[in-house]
Amino acid sequence: MIMKRYSIVLYIFLLVACVIFYSCDSELPIRANYAAYTFSGIDENGGNWKPILLTSSNQIVIDEPADVNSASYKEELEALKSITANVSSAQRDAINYWTNNPILRWNEIALELAAKYNLIPGPNPDGTYTLPNAANPAGPPPFPFAHPPYTCRMLAYLSVAQFDGLVTAWNYKFNYNRPAPSSVDSNITSAYISNNIPSYPSDGAVIAVVSRDILIAMFPLEKDYLEARATEHLASLQWSGTNVTSDIEAGKFIGTEVKKIVLARAATDGMKNAQTSKAKSDSMANAAYERFGWRWENQETPQRPVGLTPLFGKVKPWSVPDITLIRPVAPPTPGSPEFEKDAQELKDVAKKLTNEQRKIANWWSDGLSTYTPPGHWNRFAKEFIIKYKFNPLRSARTFAYMNMAIMDAGISCWDAKYYYNYPRPIQTIPGFKTILGTPNFPAYTSGHSTFSAAAAEVLSYIFPAEATQCQAWAKEAAESRIYGGIHYRFDADVGNTQGKAAAQYTINIAKADGAD
Amino acid sequence: MRKIILIIIICVVSGATKTVLAQTTTDALLMSKHELCIAVVYDHGTWDHYWEGANLRVNDNIGTFTRTMAMPMLAYGITDKLNVLASLPYIATKSSGGQLVGVAGFQDFNVALKYEIFNREIGKGKLSLQGVGVFGTPASNYLSDYMPYSLGLGTTEFTLRGMAEYKLDNGFYIRSSYAYIKRGETEVERDYYYNNGSYYTTLMDVPDATNFYGTIGKWFFNYALRVEATYQSMNCLSGDDIRAYNSPQPTNKFEYEQVSFFAQYFFKTQLKGLGLLGYYSKMFDGRNMGEFANIGGGVTYQFKVINAQ
Repeated sequence: MIMKRYSIVLYIFLLVACVIFYSCDSELPIRANYAAYTFSGIDENGGNWKPILLTSSNQIVIDEPADVNSASYKEELEALKSITANVSSAQRDAINYWTNNPILRWNEIALELAAKYNLIPGPNPDGTYTLPNAANPAGPPPFPFAHPPYTCRMLAYLSVAQFDGLVTAWNYKFNYNRPAPSSVDSNITSAYISNNIPSYPSDGAVIAVVSRDILIAMFPLEKDYLEARATEHLASLQWSGTNVTSDIEAGKFIGTEVKKIVLARAATDGMKNAQTSKAKSDSMANAAYERFGWRWENQETPQRPVGLTPLFGKVKPWSVPDITLIRPVAPPTPGSPEFEKDAQELKDVAKKLTNEQRKIANWWSDGLSTYTPPGHWNRFAKEFIIKYKFNPLRSARTFAYMNMAIMDAGISCWDAKYYYNYPRPIQTIPGFKTILGTPNFPAYTSGHSTFSAAAAEVLSYIFPAEATQCQAWAKEAAESRIYGGIHYRFDADVGNTQGKAAAQYTINIAKADGAD
Repeated sequence: MRKIILIIIICVVSGATKTVLAQTTTDALLMSKHELCIAVVYDHGTWDHYWEGANLRVNDNIGTFTRTMAMPMLAYGITDKLNVLASLPYIATKSSGGQLVGVAGFQDFNVALKYEIFNREIGKGKLSLQGVGVFGTPASNYLSDYMPYSLGLGTTEFTLRGMAEYKLDNGFYIRSSYAYIKRGETEVERDYYYNNGSYYTTLMDVPDATNFYGTIGKWFFNYALRVEATYQSMNCLSGDDIRAYNSPQPTNKFEYEQVSFFAQYFFKTQLKGLGLLGYYSKMFDGRNMGEFANIGGGVTYQFKVINAQ
C-alpha cells in the first residue's frame, strides 16, 4: 500500500517534469517585430531636400518612364500580375520580412555584421599580434575588426548612401508621378498598405543596391551573403506587387551611381591610415608624455604594441570643419586632488557595487561581439522610426544625420584620446580590478559618452517628444563606464559635452536641408 | 542490506560552470527511512587551459583560473526507497591574470528525489535500478553572463536520471547512469547579444544537455571504505562556440569528458555516523570550458531523526 503511494508521488514528479520540459522554451526575438505600415507622412517635397554628398537630387539622371498606357508598361504589368498570382509561402515570408520600410532591415543587417566582426584579434603563439588587413580580408584574423570607430563609420556611409539615394528617388517619383501598379490595374494587389507614393523609381531597389554595395565594401567576406539578401529584397518588390521591372531598374541605377560617390569619399577619408605603426603610435604617446607628463600603456598580456586606431582622430569629419575646434581641455594630472577625487570614486564604486550599477554597466557595455555603442543608438533610432511611422526617406534622414554626428563625435573623441594619451584606471590605480574589460585605447575622453551624447542630440532634434529619454540614456551610458571601472568621471562628463558639441554641426546642416 | 544504507553523498564536483547536484544523485545508495545525512563538501578547481570551441588554448589575461566551492548538503530517507536531497553551494571565482574581478556567492539551490525502482539478487550480486529527478534554481541574483567568472548558468534546471548498479557480494560494483538535463533561459543584463545572429532580448537560451556516468568501485573493510573510479561525459544538445578570443556566454555548447577517483570512509564504532570523503577529477576533453582539475573533500554525518519502533 505504502509502496503504491510513493509510486504515485514518483509519477506526479515525472508528470511535472514533462510539463517543465515542454514549457520552458520560447522564441527569442532576433529582429524588430513590425509589419508594413501607413506612413505618418509621405514627404511629397522630399526631392527638394538637400542631399549629403550629391550636389542635388538631380545630379543622377534617370530616363523618363514609359507611360502607363504604353505597350511596354502593359507588358511589365502582365509580368507582374503573373508573379503576384503565384507567390509561394517562402516568398510571402520574404514580403513580410522586408516590409515597406526596408531601411530598418538593412540597418539590422548592418548591426548584425558589426556584432559578427567585432572580435579583437588575439595574440599569436609567439606573443605578437596580427592585425586584420583589408588587402587580405580572409586573414586570419578576418577583416574587419568592427570596433566602435569602424562601426560608426560603416553606419554613417550606409545611411548617407541610403539618404542620398532616396532624396534622388523622391525627386523623380514626384516629378514623374507614375502610379503604383495596383492603382493602374485592379487585378494587382499590393501586399503592402498603400501610401500613395509614386512607384518610379523604386525606392526599395535604391535601398537594396546601396545597402548591398556599401556593406560589401565594409564587410568584404560577406559578399555572397549580402548579394543573396539584396537579391531576395529586389525580388520581393515584385512578389509584393510593389514595382514593375522598369521601376526597379531605375532604382538600381540610382543606387549604383550613389554608391560610387559615397565609396569614393570613404576611400579617401583617412580611415586606411587610422591604424598606425608602433613607431608612429609611440611618437604620439611620447609627445603626450613630453607635454603632460603621462602616457597610456596597454595592460594586456602580452602587451598590445599599438592602441586601437591612433589616427582615427584624423579621419575626415562629416560636419565639423576642424576637429580640433572641439578638442576638450586637458584632463587632471594623475596624483592631483581633482584626479584623486575621481579615482577614489572608482575604488568606492568597485568596493560596493550595487545591483543597479552592475546592471547599468552591463546594459551599456556594448563590448566585443556586439553592435557597439553606435549600433545601440541605431537600434533606438529604429524603434523610434517604427513608433513614429516614418517613411523610408525620413528614416534614412534620421539614420544619416545621427550616424554622421556619431562619427564626428567619435573622431573628436579619438583626437582627444591620442592627443592626451591618458592612462586608464587599471594603469593608475594599483591592483584595481573591474567588471568590464578595459579597451585597448587611452581613457580620456570616454567613447561611450561621446558617441551617446551625439546620438541623443540628433534623436532629440528629430523626435522632440523623446528628448528627455534620449538625454537620460546618454547620461546613463556615460555613467555606466564609471560603474564598469574603466573610466574616470571626468572622462565621462567631458565626453558628454564633447559629443553634444560635435553633434551641433550636423544638426545645423539637418535643420537647413529643407525637411523641417 | 542495511549496511549498504551507510551512505551518501559525494560531490565530485565536476567543475562545470554549473555545479551538478545530479552528481550526488548518481550514487545508487539510499538513506533508510527517517535517516538524515548532513554533509559539507569543499572543492577546489583550477584550469590554465580552456577549450575555445574544440581548440585547447591558453589566455594570459586569465592565467590560472580558480573556482572554490563549499557545499552544504542534506539527504533524508522519506522511506527506504525514496530519498530527498538538497544542496546549496557557495562559490568563489578568480583568475591570476588580467584585470577582471572574481565573484563569490551562493549558486543554485538544488532539491532532488531519488527512488529505487528495482532491487533484486541476480547471480552473485544484486542489481538495483533507480530514478532521480533534480530541480535546481539560482539561489542569488548572480550574473550568468560574466563568464568564465560567473557562478553558474543562472537558469532553472530539471534533470531526469536513470541509474543501474550491479554489486557483487564481494564488494565490487559497477554503476552507470544517464541523465537528460532540461535547462530554461537565463536572464542577462544586456538586451542584445550575438549567437550566430542577433538576439534582441535579455534572455539567453541555455542548451539542454545529457550526462553519462560509468563507475567501477569496491567496498573494503566490511563496507567501511569504498573506492571508485568514474568516467563522466557532459554533452549539450545545441549551443554556439566561444568566439575567437572572446568570453564564453551561457548560450555556448559546454561539453567535457572527465575521469575521477573517489574514496569514502565510514566510521563504524567510535564516531559512528561520521564519514569522510575525498576525490580528484580531471577533464581530458571538452568544448567551450576550462580544462578543470578538481580536488575535494568532505565530511558526512548521518543519524536517525526518528527512532523506528
